[in-house]
Parts: sequence; structure tokens; C-alpha cells
Amino acid sequence: MAVMIHIRMRAARKKKKKGGVSQTREMDAAEVEFLAEKELVNIIPNFSLDKIYLIGGDLGPFNPGLPVEVPVWLALNLKQRHKCRIIPPEWMDTDKLEEIREQERKLDTFTPIPNPHYMELTKLLLNHAADNIPKADDIRTLVKDIWDTRMAKLRLSADSFISQQEAHAQLDNLTLMEINTTRFFLLDSLNYMYKLRSNLHPARTQDY
Amino acid sequence: MPCERKPMRYGHSEGLTDVCFDDEGKSIVTCGSDGDVRIWESLDDDDPKSISVGEKAFSVALKNGKLITAVSNNTVQIHTFPEGDPDGILTRFTTNANHVTFNTSGSKVAVGSSDFLVKIVEVMDSSQQKTLRGHEAPVLSVAFDPSDEFLASSSCDGSVAVWSVESQTQVAQWKVLQKSSDVSAAKSLCRLAWLPRSGRVLAIPVDATVQLYDRNTWTHISTLSDDLSTQVVNVVVWSPCGKFLAAGTVGGNLLIWDVVAKLCVERQKHEKGFTVCGMAWHPSGGRIAYTDTEGCLGLLDGVSSASAPTSSSTTQSTKATAAKETNDYDDLFDDDDDRIMDEGMSDSHSPVKKALVEDDDDDDLMPATGRARNRASFLDDDNSQDAASVKLDKLPDEDGSSAILPPVIPAVSRPVYEGPMPTPPQRAFQPGSTPVHLMHRFMTWNSIGIVRGYNDDQDNAIDVEFHDTAIHHAMHLTNTFGHTMTDLSQEAVLLACEGTDELASKIQCLHFSCWDTQKEWMVDLPKGEDARALCLGQGWAAVATSTLMVRLFSIGGVQREMFSLPGAVVCMAGHGEQLLIVYHRGTGFDGDQSLGVQLIQLGRKRKQVIHGEPLPLSQKSYLAWMGFTAEATPCCIDSVGVVRILNRTLGNTWTPVCNTRESCKSKSDHYWVVGVRENPQQLRCIPCKGSRFPPTLPRPAVAVLPFKLPYCQTTTEKGQMEEQYWRSVLFHNHYDFLSSSGYETDSEVQSQAQKEQQELLMKMFALSCKLEREFRCVELAELMTHNVVTLAIRYASRSRRMALAQKLNEIALEKANQLHEEEEQEEEEPAYQSVAQNSLFNHVRRESRGSSQMNGCEDEDVEEEYTQEEERDAEEASETKKPCLNPFKKEAQSPERPSPKPVNREGRANPFKVSSAGKSSGSPAGQSRTTNVLDSMTMSSRKPVALSGTSKQSKAPVLKPLAPKAKSKTQATLLQMTATKASSKKQESQSGTETVKQTPAATPPVSAENTENRKPKTGFQLWLDENRKSILADNPDFEEMDVIKEGMGRFRTLTAEQRLEWSEKAKSESDLKKRKREHGGEEDEQMERDESGAKKKKALDSSAKLSAFAFNKK
Repeated sequence: MAVMIHIRMRAARKKKKKGGVSQTREMDAAEVEFLAEKELVNIIPNFSLDKIYLIGGDLGPFNPGLPVEVPVWLALNLKQRHKCRIIPPEWMDTDKLEEIREQERKLDTFTPIPNPHYMELTKLLLNHAADNIPKADDIRTLVKDIWDTRMAKLRLSADSFISQQEAHAQLDNLTLMEINTTRFFLLDSLNYMYKLRSNLHPARTQDY
Repeated sequence: MPCERKPMRYGHSEGLTDVCFDDEGKSIVTCGSDGDVRIWESLDDDDPKSISVGEKAFSVALKNGKLITAVSNNTVQIHTFPEGDPDGILTRFTTNANHVTFNTSGSKVAVGSSDFLVKIVEVMDSSQQKTLRGHEAPVLSVAFDPSDEFLASSSCDGSVAVWSVESQTQVAQWKVLQKSSDVSAAKSLCRLAWLPRSGRVLAIPVDATVQLYDRNTWTHISTLSDDLSTQVVNVVVWSPCGKFLAAGTVGGNLLIWDVVAKLCVERQKHEKGFTVCGMAWHPSGGRIAYTDTEGCLGLLDGVSSASAPTSSSTTQSTKATAAKETNDYDDLFDDDDDRIMDEGMSDSHSPVKKALVEDDDDDDLMPATGRARNRASFLDDDNSQDAASVKLDKLPDEDGSSAILPPVIPAVSRPVYEGPMPTPPQRAFQPGSTPVHLMHRFMTWNSIGIVRGYNDDQDNAIDVEFHDTAIHHAMHLTNTFGHTMTDLSQEAVLLACEGTDELASKIQCLHFSCWDTQKEWMVDLPKGEDARALCLGQGWAAVATSTLMVRLFSIGGVQREMFSLPGAVVCMAGHGEQLLIVYHRGTGFDGDQSLGVQLIQLGRKRKQVIHGEPLPLSQKSYLAWMGFTAEATPCCIDSVGVVRILNRTLGNTWTPVCNTRESCKSKSDHYWVVGVRENPQQLRCIPCKGSRFPPTLPRPAVAVLPFKLPYCQTTTEKGQMEEQYWRSVLFHNHYDFLSSSGYETDSEVQSQAQKEQQELLMKMFALSCKLEREFRCVELAELMTHNVVTLAIRYASRSRRMALAQKLNEIALEKANQLHEEEEQEEEEPAYQSVAQNSLFNHVRRESRGSSQMNGCEDEDVEEEYTQEEERDAEEASETKKPCLNPFKKEAQSPERPSPKPVNREGRANPFKVSSAGKSSGSPAGQSRTTNVLDSMTMSSRKPVALSGTSKQSKAPVLKPLAPKAKSKTQATLLQMTATKASSKKQESQSGTETVKQTPAATPPVSAENTENRKPKTGFQLWLDENRKSILADNPDFEEMDVIKEGMGRFRTLTAEQRLEWSEKAKSESDLKKRKREHGGEEDEQMERDESGAKKKKALDSSAKLSAFAFNKK
């Protein structure tokens, strides 16, 4: 297990470095994904192991054939070594996702999402464990649809926020990944606009 | 005519549905807009067989094993029945077909479609088609004349037409319907019906009435209507006898007319008022199945049975046979005779019907029902043969009735028996398998792995998959022999098939764990002997056969013993050296099975443990699962969901430990059990929604259910604890069994279980004490071990129940004697090993405890107690340390795991492991842990809990030595005087509650510590501090001085050596203090301030933490 921790930490560092080259301020997608890996998921192991004790808490015991809850990073690790089957989370189901998609399309505001890391988890699980997830392709499409709808909404609201020159806005039910994708661009552009505006009225700003 | 309307069942998603019976009336066939055809064994069938025919199915017809469906892809398809295999496309249209129907002989099919056409197709040769053109709108329904001469059709253009099949021309047409543009817009489906057999009358639903037309003149002869019903009639069907006509309406009314009397004899309302769109009359005439537009299926039962209440059955039957002769040639419709005949028929046919009704109660899983059905079909077969020989010269339209009539005679001539009815014996099965008839099924699901069988068009194969891939990789076998039974163990896969006419029954074994290259062997059973059940044990395999024999094989294929069974086998299970067989020991009555069970010990000590005693099952249930728990205890589960486990300590009785039905959300949900474990207590099963067993896809997930013994009043604290206690006892019985049969057991877990049980007993004891039930207390004490009884005595004496304490004393004495006797017996065994063990344990215990003790001294009594126990432990350990490994341990790797090597364990402890206090220290001491916790109230008061203490007071003594100033001395002593009293009182009350709670919480340490800081401590003082508590306990009224006096007395009774030891300890402690003083010097000033203002406890506290930390660091 010590090896596993080591690997995970190294992976985290690598991800950080990658992000660090281009942007120092921004939290990049890989980091958000790293956070998402802490989410718990059920797996069915095909080996047996006693409880293991890690910094993050105790995991196991692992009994072959019996579902056990582990973090996604461990689940994927085991999956890649063919040591387990992953049981997809409850919300990862075409019916439920379709419902959410319809809801998302119907409403102007953001609908609550079953998991704060839905996008990351879908990507991770479908990339590594597609064989354990029924209708994997449909789910991928559905989640992408939901994501696109939400991003469109986000852009739209950002647009109206800027065009109406509002001071503040309220956006509920946004997930970390969504905030993260728009944050840097929005903040920078606001900064630039502020600069441009203040250059428009140099006299005024100097007064202050 | 009182008939019974059975509750509706959900069958299909909402939309148009259709229904029909199969030829014998054994199953109901429905189709719906979900594109599935379902075959229902009965209305209560939990698991109807589904055949997917398309996206939507509009109409279904069934005859001669051909299932015809009109599907949304504009085709009419054929499927075989009951297998449901696609058998080609009958015909195509440019748009949907709306209605399909067979002619009487089943050779032709008529189809009406939305492209205005009606087609007549030969079933055997679909190129032989006739197309009837003439309708000017979608065709609603079609109906064949029983003599195949005419065909009637209704259409959305408002017309009902009769066609001559031969010439394909319209013979008659009536514009009686309302026009509509499409089927969906039509007011009525207008299903037509010809009078069975003669076809003399055509019934046409027109609005709220049914119009009858004559065949010869094509004129209207009468109208059937009901004043109470004004709803549009959708469907009409004739009873097989032709006497009654049933109609279903748009608003959900079900009407039945006596056609001759033109009387409405039965009115039923659909329970939700949905539109009835499909109706079918059972071939025997006793019941009507109907479906609605919401996809539900319903049944009217006893429809015609009540129509002849006056005549007795015997006279009827004679009349019926007489009538049969005549009615062959007579017109059925107006003849009076045939009326009697019909009644006779419907009535006398009721035994068959009754059997069907019984079937409804049974589940389809129940193999027994299969037999009942077989019997029925057997009769039918006979009859149809007879009928065929007689029938040669008869009219073709006799077909329907002659098939039904013959069973009348044998059924009626039998004397009427109204006693308890024998239950058909359940069929043999493999535990953890789904029914054999499924195309994709689980052949075995056990704790080792899963065996799946596929038997469809392309493939007949078996997949073996192991839960633990370390055992073996997954296997894919082609199932050339058609194996139906499998079992799986860690060593091998065993398969067997029943014999056919040419081939003998075979047993095949894939012995994957063997070390040579031949990993497979096969054995043919003698001719006429079929394998019925099989199982694998450790190193052996057993097969039960149809000749009531059990054959044993070695795992390598050597034939071993064989023996006969007293009855037909139901199932077998093997585990280690144990073989469990369940068989029929007699005939059960009224739904009960009569099963016997044998448990045979193979291996070295061969014996029969259970000699064919009856296996208890719930009422009206059958055996659903049988096997061993992972810990080798036999366990069985019946169809009602009650799990029973063998209690070896109570003369091999069966104790119910769980009812899976209690965890089910709905009535039709079930749990399909795949395994049972006793430690941890887990019932592993698969939740199945709406069925008894899971489908192979999607792959079902295992859930875990807890056990709960059905004790009384488990809502009360008492009942709860009783249940917990007995559950714990029951589920730890296997340790005795395993150790007695020479397997290694985990003594750690066992001692933990014992501790848990004793704790529960103590809790119950305390509860009974509170409730003033002293007799009950004594009863409980009898279940306790000696040590706990002494604890109970203390508890009793403290709560001033002297009578109780005395009684308990007697029990304690008795127990001590018993213990003594046992020890004497055991002493004969070599002692050196136990001594060695003993010293190890002592050492470990010191280590574990020493860390939390500053003055590491202990009460001598306790010491003795421990040594005693450790001796016993050691003996136990040496006994269990036999070289045989326990193969049942779930963890395959566990044999290598060091079992009780606590020192090692301590050494490689994981730094992340949250140290739950007992885990490391308690494990080695084994049983002593029991007393360790239970004695907590005495122990904790004796030893000052130093660093682990959480209460504020406990920190004070650590701090005190840091303030050595003489100035504070007087103050300190003053403080101490009051504190002593206060705290000693507190202790008393606290320790009282502690015994109840049984938590090893830290009690405030004796405040006498305070004085020790200043005065040089003597050995006696040290001793007194330790023992003050027990003195106080024995004499609760003592003042401080009295305590000292008493203590003096006791101290003197100690031996010189012990006294020396105490004074040694005193010395070493003062040394320790000196060192501490040096260390804590910096804080002295602050200490001083705090000491002077003795009431500022809080400030003192924080610094106490600091100092404690510093000390700890060192």
C-alpha cells in the first residue's frame, strides 16, 4: 500500500507541474480531477485482503465478490491491474441522466447535479472501466450534453452579467470543474475591461 | 353466476394489448406496446416468460405451437411456442397490421392491416396468400368462420364485411359502425366473433350493444344489450360451449350474456375503469382473461361453473356423454340437450380447473407445479389420441369440444376426496442456481465463484468465473453434453447432465488444482441412472442419482463409497469433510414438503451426524437454498425466506436466524441467497425486484443482510440484549466444532466473542438488578463465567442486595470448583509449553500496559487472576495449535498469517492505523482481556491513568510534581484533605455507574498522589493508594482514618517479599519524580502562581497539557 500512496503523490505532483508551467494562478483541470478522485465508489474485488490503514482512513476488508467502498483513485488502480470490477455510481444511469438533461434544458438556472464531480468521474470511469458500465456510450453522450448545456448557460450568464454591468450575480449548483473552466477567463477579462474603462476616463480615475 | 374478479397485474407498458390462451389453456399469452409477448403460467406468475418480438406488438394469436404477432415494423411474425424462438416472417404490409387470428384448425392466419387490406396466409407456406380488397379504411379486426368458408372483417370505414375465403369476394356488408380515420381514432376496436363449432352466428359489437347475425341469410337476428351499461363495446368473445358471450367495453365493463335467454348474467367492472382491449376465454370455459389499454392483465374466474347449481355431477356426466352423441349432428345453438351438455362439461371439467387454481398459489419456481401440469397434459394427450381415432368421420368443427370432453369421464367417476391434498414433491435442484429452463442462467453461485450457462441459438456454453482470481482464471467451456448441474470448489468444477435415449448420464470434473497434466475426467453412470444432484467437498465429489443412490468419488476420479438414500434427493452440499443431503422422506400434505436431512462426516472420523431427521421448513414452503456457512455450519433457507442454521450444541436443532422477507420492500421482491458467513455475521444475497432469482445481465450486485433471531420483544432493551446474546452464542458455536475436528481457530476472535457475551450478560444482570428481579439475576449469573460472577457479586453488594450477593457467592463457589476440576484434568498434559506461553503473555501484557503506567505496580490478586487465566489460555492455544490448517478461512492467504504473535504485530504496526485502545494490547492476553475491561472500575482506580486520561482531574497529578516549593506545602495539604474526600466519594458513585456502562473510562486518580509529591513516599503508602479502593468497596462507611487502619492490617498480612517489592517501587518512583522536576524547572514560576491561586483550575490545565507533552516527548 505504501507504494500506492507514493505513486498517487507522485502523480499529483506531476499534474501540478503540468499546470504550473502555463499558469501559476489557475487551478487546472488535472487538479480538479485529482480532487474528484477522492470520491467514493463501490467495487467488487476479486482478491482478498484485510483492512488497510491509510492516511485518509481505513479501507476494506476486501472480500472477493463482495462490494466494498473505496476512493476512485484506488478503484481505478485496482481496475487497471484487473483486480476488481467497478459498480457505477447510482446516478450514472441513462434514465437518471436523461431526466437531468431534460431538466437542464427546460430551466434557465442550473439544476442540482447528483455529484459535484460528475464530469470528472464520468471521464475517469468511462476511460478506464467502460466495460463495467452498462450503456457507457450513451452515458458519455448524456453527460457531455449536460455539460454543454450548463457551459452554454454559464457563458450566457457571464455575457449578460458583463453587458448589463452588474456588480454581482448569483449562480447556484455550479460544480468545481465548471467554475474552474470559466473562472480564469472571466476574471482576466473583467480585469482588462476594468483597465480599459479606467483608461477611457483617465481624468476621473486620477481624481481618486 | 357469481364469478371472481382477480386483482389486475401489471403486464406491459401502456398502450394497446392483446391476450389469448394456449391450446390447453395452461398459460396466458399477452402482448403489448412494449413489444414483448409474455407467457404467464398463471395470473400470480412472478416471472412470466418474455419474448421480445419488436418495438410494439398490436395483436397476438396462438395455435399449434405457433405464436403469430402483428408488430410495428409492418410485419407479421411467427415465433415458436413456448420456446419463443423466431420462426420467420409470415407476411408484410405497407403499414401496421392491426389484428391477427387463426382459423380453427390453425392452418391459416388472417391479418387485417391499416393499409385497408385483409390477408389470408397459410402458416406452413407463407407464399400461399390471399388478399381481400374492398375496405376503404384501416381494418380493425378479422375473424375466421369455424368452417373456414367465410371471413368477417370490420374496418374504420364503418363497415363490417363477410368475405368468401375461396372466391375472395364480399358476401355481405353492413354499414353499422361509425366512421373514423384511423385505428387510434376509432371508437371501438370492433373485434368480431363467430359462434364456435357451427359458426351459425356472427357477433358484432355495435356501440353499447352486440348484434347477432345469422350465417345463412346474413340477417340480423337479435341484439344483446345491458341497460346498466352504456359504454361502447370493444371486444366480444364466445364461450367455448357457445352458450355465453362475453364483451369488454371502453369504460372497463365486463359483461357476460346467456345468449339463448338474452340475459346479462354477469357484470363486472374493471378495477380502475380502463378500456378493455383484449379478451380470451379459457378453452375449458371456466375463466376469462382480459387486458386493458394500460397494459394490465386481469382474470375472471369461475365464470360458468355456477351456471348449473342444481344438477349433481354424476347425472350430468351421463347426460353429457349421451348428449355428445346427439349433438355431433344437431345444431348446437338451439338445441336444449347441448345446454345440459355444456353445463356438464364446464362443471365436470372443474377438477382440471381446480388444479390450475392450485397452481396459482404455487410459484413457478416450484418444480412441483410442473408435475401437476405434466399430469394434466398427459391426460390431454391421451384424450386427443382417443378423440382422433373416433373423430375421423366427424365434422372438423368438433375439434374444440372433443379435446375438452373426454377427461370428463375419468375425472367424475373418481370418488370425491375432501381430505388434505398431498403436495407434489419438489424437484431436485442445485443450491445457488436459477431455473433450468432459462436460456441464460446461473448454474452455481457460491462463495468460490459463479458458473453461468448459456443455451441459445448460437451457443451452448458454460462460463466459470472465480470471485478470487487467485484461485484460477475464468474458464469458458462449450457445453457439448448439455450439462445442467454444476458445483464449484477451490479445487475443481463438477458438471453433470441427465441421460438421453442414446447417451448415458455423464459426470465431468475439471480438476484444475491438480498438479499433473490430466486436469479432466469423466464418468458415465449406468444406463437408466440419471444424476440429480451433485456437490464437491475437499478432496471428494458426490453425486446423487435417480436410483436413490449417492456415489462418492475422489477428486481425482477414483470411485469411492456409495450408499442408498431413503428417498428422492432434493439437494446436496459439501464442505470440507462434511456431506449434507436433503431428500424426500415422505409425502407432504397441504403445501408442505416432507424433507429429511442427513449429515455425514467423511474423512478420518467417518460417521453420520444427522440420521435423516426431518428438516424444518416454514408452512407451505419448499427448500430454496441449502449449504454450509463459510465456517462449516449447515444452513438452509426456505421459499418463504426464513434462514435456519444448525445448532450443534442443542442436539443438532435448527434455529431460524433471519427472515429475508422482512427486508423486502414489496411483496414480489425476493432475496436470492448466495452465501452465509458467521464471522462476520453476513447473509450474502442478491436483491431481486419482482422475481425470485436474478437475471444474468446486467450483472447483479451482492448485498449483505444482517441476522436477527426472532426473539420476543426485541424493541425493549431486555429483548434486544437477549437476542444479541443468543445470536452471539449461536454464531460462535462453530469454534467448538472446528477445534474439535482438529482445525485451527482464531482464538483472538473467539475470546473477543466471549468477552462480548459476558458483557451482554453483565448488562442484562445490571438491568435485572435495576428492575428488582433478583431471581432473574441469579439465572443470568449461572450463564456467566467465574470471573464475571465475582464482578456481579461486587455489583450486588454495592447496590446493597445482600441476599443476591450470597446466592451469587454460592454460584461462584460452584463455578470455581468446576474450574478447578477441569484444571486438574488438564494438568496431565505437558506443562512446559504452557509455561513458555505464559511468560510470553506476561511479557506482552506488561509491555502493553507499562506504557500507560508510571508506577507499573499491580494488585497481587489481579496478578493471580491473570496468571490463572493465562494458563488456561495457553492450554487452549496449545491445543488449537495443531498443525492442521483451517481450510475454511475465507482468506486464502490466511494460513500464512501469524495467528497469535502479538509482539511481531506490535512491531510492524501501521503508523496510519488509528489505534483503538484494545486492538494491539488486548489481542495477546486472550481471555484476560475480558477481565481487563470488565474489571476496569477496579483497575483504573488502582493505576493512575496518566497520559491517556481525558478528564481534567487526571492531568493534575502529572503536573503536581513540577511544583516542589515548600511554600505551597501547607496549602497543598489543605487542598488535599478536602479533595480526598470529595474524590473518594466521587469514585464510589462513578465506579457504580461504570459497571453498568462497562466502559473503561478513566476514573479520577486517587488524590493521595498529591501528598506524595512532598513527602517521601513509603512502600505502604504506595500500596495503600492502590488498595484504598478495594477497602472502601468492602467497607463503604469507613472514614479516611479507618481506611488507613484497615490498610495497615492488610499490608501486614502480605509476605515480606511483597512488602519489599512495594518499598522498591516507592524508591524508584521518587527517582522518577526527581527527573521530572529537573525537566519541568522552567515552568516552575508559572506553577507557583497557579498553585497560590489554587482555584484557577483552567490555567493550570493548559499548562498541564504542556508539561505532559514535554514529558511524553522525552
